[in-house]
Amino acid sequence: MSSDFYTSSILPFAAIIIKICRAYTNTQEDFEDYYQEVSLQIWKSRDNFRQQSEWSTWVYRLSLNVCLTLLKKRKNNPQHFASDYLPAEITEDSKAFANESLDQLYYAIRQLSEVDRGVILLYLEEQSYQEIADIIGTNPNNIGVRIKRIKERLKKILDGKVN
Amino acid sequence: MEKSIETIWKEGFLQNDALVAPKLNNLYTQKSEHIVDKFTRMFKINLVAIVAGSFFFLGMSYYVEIPYMGLGMFIILNTLVLVNRSLMKGLAKIDKNVNTFQYLKSFDNWMKEQIATNEKFARVLYPFVFLSGAAGFWFGSFGGDIPGADFVNELTFHFPEMIIVFGLPLYGLIGILLVIGLLVYFGGRIYRWDFNIVYGRVLKKLEEIIADMEDLRKEA
Repeated sequence: MSSDFYTSSILPFAAIIIKICRAYTNTQEDFEDYYQEVSLQIWKSRDNFRQQSEWSTWVYRLSLNVCLTLLKKRKNNPQHFASDYLPAEITEDSKAFANESLDQLYYAIRQLSEVDRGVILLYLEEQSYQEIADIIGTNPNNIGVRIKRIKERLKKILDGKVN
Repeated sequence: MEKSIETIWKEGFLQNDALVAPKLNNLYTQKSEHIVDKFTRMFKINLVAIVAGSFFFLGMSYYVEIPYMGLGMFIILNTLVLVNRSLMKGLAKIDKNVNTFQYLKSFDNWMKEQIATNEKFARVLYPFVFLSGAAGFWFGSFGGDIPGADFVNELTFHFPEMIIVFGLPLYGLIGILLVIGLLVYFGGRIYRWDFNIVYGRVLKKLEEIIADMEDLRKEA
């Protein structure tokens, strides 16, 4: 991967990749691994970008797909990753941000199902229902209800009602 | 007032340290180590299985009174293991302190060398296995009747004009030589086919990683 491509096409969207990768990993080591893999896959798949959507939307989609694939692999081969399961509480290793509330929110997001994590991340990133539906591959009519349920669950987790 | 998740999200990412991208280095280190470890582990397990199999064949062949077959298989399979153990020493010598690309290239070179050696060996192995099987059924148990000789006597009784060479019917001898010839000729290919069944996926992954890394080096 040329440093030019990384600087011009990946780094400006690093925030998206970081936010998504953080939701699918529990440790810094796994996060870096996922980030690298997503960056690599963006570079390898760059010729498949058809310009039918924004580059950022494409990056969202690809990042989510790569994370879901890695998570699946991780379930099949848990010994190849540093963290296999979500710890019972936020550990030093899983603290990624100086902001404690954000750490807690991420901890709650990680307790959601894999697809729900993707949906809520896209919602928090202010993607439209149509865009979320396109990226996730579902009907936009269902997205609103789903987001409502996810938010309720997140609230319960954050309030300590659900482990 | 309790913050909404939207507010937590927005405020959290306002801080500069929240979105620091990790450096992209040693991109393939973990993958490479994983692939080499996986191959080495499979290779060792295979060698142990071959040794265990050779003892099993030996025991079974004595039990069913075709010991020449078991003995022949035992000798050739354990020779195969010795050859591959010697190849394994070369694998252990690969320097792990070089960069990932060089490490993978060294591993790939070792792989090509071991495949070439085993292809040559397969040209002896498969005919030897065939001959062991044939000898097992021909000679039967040690010191007992020789089923092969009885078979030839039976044949000569029914077909007295049959040509016998070295105690074997000519057509039978030609057939055996033909099978041996084919096994010598195709031994290397049979080995590749066998090797691909067991290690094909690992090998493909290795090729993909090396190809990716070569692309990366070109563009860097």
